[in-house]
Amino acid sequence: MRALRSVRAWLRDAPAIPFLILGLIAFAAVFADFLAPHDPQFGKLSERFLPPFWIERGSTAHIFGTDHLGRDVLSRLIFGARVSMVVGFTAVIVSGVVGTTLGIVSGYLGSWADQIIMRVTDAWLALPALTFAIFLAAIVGPSEMNIVIILAAVYWTRYARIVRGEVLSLKEREFVRLAIVAGCSKWTIMRRHILPNVINSSIVLATLMLGIVIVTEASLSFLGVGVPPPKPAWGVMLADGKQGLMVGHWWLTVMPGTCIMLMVLAANLLGDWLRVKLDPQLRQL
Amino acid sequence: MRQFIARRFGYSLLSLLLLSLTIFLFIRLTGDPTSLLTEPGATEADIAAVQQKFGLDKPIWVQYAYFMGSLIKGDLGESFYYQTPVLELYLSRLPNSLMLATVAMAFSLVLGIPTGILAAVKVGRFWDSAGKLFALLGLSLPSFLVGLLMILFFSVYLEWLPSSGSGTFLHLLMPAFALGWYFAAAHMRLTRSSMLEVMGSEYIKLARLKGLTETRVIVKHAFKNALIPVVTLAGINMINMINVAVVVETVFAWPGIGRLLYEGINFRDFPVVQGVVIIGGSMIVVVNLLVDVLYALIDPRIRLEK
Amino acid sequence: MQIPATTDNAALLLTRRTSLGLLLSGLIAGEITPAHAAAQGTLTIAMHVSLAPTWFDPGETTGLIAPYIVLYALHDAMVKPMREGNPAPSLAESYTASADGLTHEFVLRPGITFHNGDPVTSDDVKFSFDRYRGNSLAMLRDAIASFETPDPRRVIIKLKEAWPDFMTFFTGATGANWVVPRKYLEKVGDAGFKKAPIGAGPYKFVSFDPGVELVLEAHEPYWRRSPSIKRIVMRVIPDEATRLVALKRGEVDIAYSIRGELAAEVKRTPNLSLKVAPDGAMYWMYFPEQWDAQSPWSDLRVRQAAAAAMDYDSINNALNLGYSTISGSIIPRNFQFVWTAPKPVFDQAKARKLLADAGHPNGFDAGFYYCDSSYANLGEAAVNNLAEIGIRTKLRPMERAAFDKAFADKRFRKGIIQGSSAAFGNAATRLSAWVVSSSPYAYGAYPELDELYLQQSKEVDIAKRTAILHKMQQIVYEKQIFVNLWQLGFLNAAGPRVGEAGFALIKDFVYTGPFEDMTLKAQ
Repeated sequence: MRALRSVRAWLRDAPAIPFLILGLIAFAAVFADFLAPHDPQFGKLSERFLPPFWIERGSTAHIFGTDHLGRDVLSRLIFGARVSMVVGFTAVIVSGVVGTTLGIVSGYLGSWADQIIMRVTDAWLALPALTFAIFLAAIVGPSEMNIVIILAAVYWTRYARIVRGEVLSLKEREFVRLAIVAGCSKWTIMRRHILPNVINSSIVLATLMLGIVIVTEASLSFLGVGVPPPKPAWGVMLADGKQGLMVGHWWLTVMPGTCIMLMVLAANLLGDWLRVKLDPQLRQL
Repeated sequence: MRQFIARRFGYSLLSLLLLSLTIFLFIRLTGDPTSLLTEPGATEADIAAVQQKFGLDKPIWVQYAYFMGSLIKGDLGESFYYQTPVLELYLSRLPNSLMLATVAMAFSLVLGIPTGILAAVKVGRFWDSAGKLFALLGLSLPSFLVGLLMILFFSVYLEWLPSSGSGTFLHLLMPAFALGWYFAAAHMRLTRSSMLEVMGSEYIKLARLKGLTETRVIVKHAFKNALIPVVTLAGINMINMINVAVVVETVFAWPGIGRLLYEGINFRDFPVVQGVVIIGGSMIVVVNLLVDVLYALIDPRIRLEK
Repeated sequence: MQIPATTDNAALLLTRRTSLGLLLSGLIAGEITPAHAAAQGTLTIAMHVSLAPTWFDPGETTGLIAPYIVLYALHDAMVKPMREGNPAPSLAESYTASADGLTHEFVLRPGITFHNGDPVTSDDVKFSFDRYRGNSLAMLRDAIASFETPDPRRVIIKLKEAWPDFMTFFTGATGANWVVPRKYLEKVGDAGFKKAPIGAGPYKFVSFDPGVELVLEAHEPYWRRSPSIKRIVMRVIPDEATRLVALKRGEVDIAYSIRGELAAEVKRTPNLSLKVAPDGAMYWMYFPEQWDAQSPWSDLRVRQAAAAAMDYDSINNALNLGYSTISGSIIPRNFQFVWTAPKPVFDQAKARKLLADAGHPNGFDAGFYYCDSSYANLGEAAVNNLAEIGIRTKLRPMERAAFDKAFADKRFRKGIIQGSSAAFGNAATRLSAWVVSSSPYAYGAYPELDELYLQQSKEVDIAKRTAILHKMQQIVYEKQIFVNLWQLGFLNAAGPRVGEAGFALIKDFVYTGPFEDMTLKAQ
């Protein structure tokens, strides 16, 4: 009961907009099968390029219109939410776990482990993220699973760097020294004493990274090395829609574009709020 | 001082080495690098030649030596599609990329610095909030979306600007803006925080005490000092712009490094993809080194920190 | 494919012993009035494919048709497919074959030169053939007994045995008789040649920026006629919509490959004209599992169901404004020896019934549908139609080169493959490329077809050979080895400055050419 009350208190000043947006997208992703009015992958050629319903020629059967194969844009957006959510969250979690772990190990153990991890981190940070991701995609080929792995491989370094810095200062703190004196093993200290103290930073960073990861995924899909085409990823929809843009079929660009923008905006707003809430020291991020 | 530079130089070399090792290992991750390093449809003889060149039948450290050997000679391989050395292709597209990055940088500074100053001067008030919103939008609107929306508005509806291609200055405007947009937000944020820091410093207080007008204080004293970190960041971002331009260059068919990379993906021209990533990473390592050394020369405290 | 075959042109030569070449050159003189005015103006073509330096060298032609866009401008052949016919005499003013079909003699035109002023001699022809390393090389090498150059204007090729399709391969389906300058090549080497190619074609090389543009300039002393346009710029614009916008803004004069709704936009736009090359590439579905008794595809009725499931006309109307041709065979209607298959009919009820009769009333999962990504839209439509009768497939578009390699390496053993071809040739060459068991693209074989193929390849009598080839095509049709989707009506667009755009003027070739015939309107 007390826990519940504190959660409510915590949520009271939570910003409504990002939660609403992310909640809506998550809802669409989970219940896509029930929400989508049409099959996202199949359409009728006779119904191609129908505009949204409020425009002449549009109909309420296809609220946001249809694409170049007569597929329902709304249904594709709804299923696309699933792709973005799954890829975005998994990639952020995987890279967060890997980066945080390596950051703790590097910072706490110091010496050669620190040298190796940090030198690798530095070298990988120098690789331009998108170019690096494209390079990896060219090697492993396109699939949702591979995109997650690629994004994790590209972005774990961001966590490792920040977490290591935090660990270095935590190491000098009284409670860690006491634990060492008490004879706790290195692994116990890292798990029980260090991890809980850096987890907040990791979460804040993860929220901020969510936006970046989603943009990267959309960029890769747009370039044709992300989620493979028949899947309704928003980036794929944008790439498909570019053709129609030139002859005025704006909804094929504006609809998925708006979805990407809203999701990234929500992630950034949430990240900003969490940063202040959880870890005021992370201002510089 | 000399010791610092030497050490910093050593780190950079190590970074470059690790970078090449990373690239090398990833290529071998699939098990069979031959399929990446030879053209689709390559003949037996071509495959044998590639295996010979990279020593693919030899132990992995020997292979790495082969790989590094050719990198040091500046040999990034030859494009399958264009049958031209990758380095030559890269250099032939670089001027276009630099042109785009320069104009994009101009946009980002023209947009970012004044808004940053305004936000700092009016901290906590309307202009500050407006600035924050602008920064947030900059981070949330991906460059390809900005690009596509601009095409829709300026090319399709208004028919003012060419939607893509190259040749005239008009072709440059939209891609440069789309690319500069994200960086404008970053430059705005840095200008704001840098200004705030300088405005709180002793000598600005002194300047005010001397009875100078507020405008004079801001323009002559605060701004000049706040500019240093912004200019540094802008320098680093020039390199970043060349490397993140792939999406913008694809949207606008601008023939720079980014489109070269896109062609590399499209034609399964692996040497091109590999070359762009290696050069991109190396450029950043070198620029970071230069910035650190320059800073150390300007500000002796940094040397002591290490 | 080591098996020789015949064309009726060659057969004509065999029987009549006429100099068809001379006859044709007479026709040309009457048909085309030479332009005396100096070449002027610049014509810019927006290319849908990226130009590669290998395209500057006829010694490296593959089965792909796109490189011929550049070849027709820069280079020339002794004999090549032309406006006047396929084959038509070009650098050679005449060609004759002996009665036994073993000796082929070509006589070069007098006084023709390469762009650098060097004369074109029989020695250059032999040199070009010797350095040729493109497609069907082994087949040509094996067939030729000797390649003689008795004097600078005369080339005599002797075959080991009669090969009715020799001319088809030598002058059409390969780049083997395209001529490069020996002296220049020996000076600059292969790599140097690709950087600054010199040929005997109507246009000479000015500059090339890889992935951006190729600039060509008129070679005014060209033998056939002096080109009327001074400069031709081939600018690479891979994105279709971008090509159209560039055309609308007048930045380019011709845009290759403008399809579907963009083509409709061209029709709506005053000043722009849609240029249709009707006899384009064939596109079809191929079922690699048809030889696997465990697979539903081994049942003829299932393949027929797939054929009846395709809404041919709607696909054609939606994706290509109805300009493609629907036919039941993978052999182009304009090819020699073609047998006209019954036109397929869209009938969903029949398709469902066939499927039910075959024991799949609820359809089945058919795995992947592989296609070249530039025609993924056709694949998407086909996948859609299949799904409507219950055959569930997933589209797997791949970039063209990778797709082609995987297809030939037999990596698509399951599912459906969307095949296509735009290569020069005749019905026999297409059957050899896609049906006969020795083809890299055949995933299985029907022995009777292999048997018939061998028979026709030795048949010198034209009527008998035609009969065998017709029978083969009939069997291919009856067995429903393929479901042909369409013969692409290749859509392009031209701007207001263009006089003669040159699309589909050359027989069996959908791109622009001959370049010397293209014109700009007088200002």
